[in-house]
Amino acid sequence: MDKKMCWILIFVTIAVNVVMVQWTVESYLGQEFNQVVIYSGISVVSAFIAFFVFLNWRKLEYAEENQQ
Amino acid sequence: MTNECKKGRNLKNSKSDMVNLTKNVDQKDDLKYNRRAFLKTAAGASIALGLSTVPFSVRAMMGMAEEENERVEIGRLDQLGEGESMTFNYPTDNDPAILVHTVNGDLVAYNSACTHLMCPVFYKKEEDILLCPCHKGYFDVNNGQPVEGPPQRELPLIEIEVENGIVYATGRKYRHG
Ligand code: FES
Repeated sequence: MDKKMCWILIFVTIAVNVVMVQWTVESYLGQEFNQVVIYSGISVVSAFIAFFVFLNWRKLEYAEENQQ
Repeated sequence: MTNECKKGRNLKNSKSDMVNLTKNVDQKDDLKYNRRAFLKTAAGASIALGLSTVPFSVRAMMGMAEEENERVEIGRLDQLGEGESMTFNYPTDNDPAILVHTVNGDLVAYNSACTHLMCPVFYKKEEDILLCPCHKGYFDVNNGQPVEGPPQRELPLIEIEVENGIVYATGRKYRHG
């Protein structure tokens, strides 16, 4: 995974999470509790993806600097 | 790479040329607001958004456990003529609801808190519609769906039963129709 891919993935997870927050709140207000759990599950998974992709990016980014 | 360098990799003791530029106008800002900081903030925002849904699902799991459907008396049918409505509370005392005897003779009940900002809706018999006066929200009296104005969701439907001229509330449906 190169750095560009990391950028893309992180921004994709932001988009996914924004949509999931909206859907979670909507289905929570509609008392559709099964859907709340599904959407927030997706959201948490995508938060984890963001986190690990970020760690990966950080590794690449600063490794480069140390080589110089 | 020494430990000392790792800690200071964004700071002035870094070996990076970019960081060590000293003739730029505002070196502090350059060190603070840059491409790396932007991505860090973005990742942080994504994680924060993702985790912010967790309280909802915790509440939802708690809510799934408790499913109560009591049968509660609302009132006598003969005291409610066509085109009239009355208020009651269901399922708890904090959930205002409205029972409507429509001009067509149907009997329907909904929680009366508007799904926009919770103002109480009332029945307008001239137009056979439920009206929320706060921001002119209209709901279809036959199915509780929003028809005009800011509300986006339907009013929760209260299932009713008539027995010996007395109207009872027997359950509630949030999403319907
Ligand atoms: S509160 Fe009912 S329309 Fe705004």
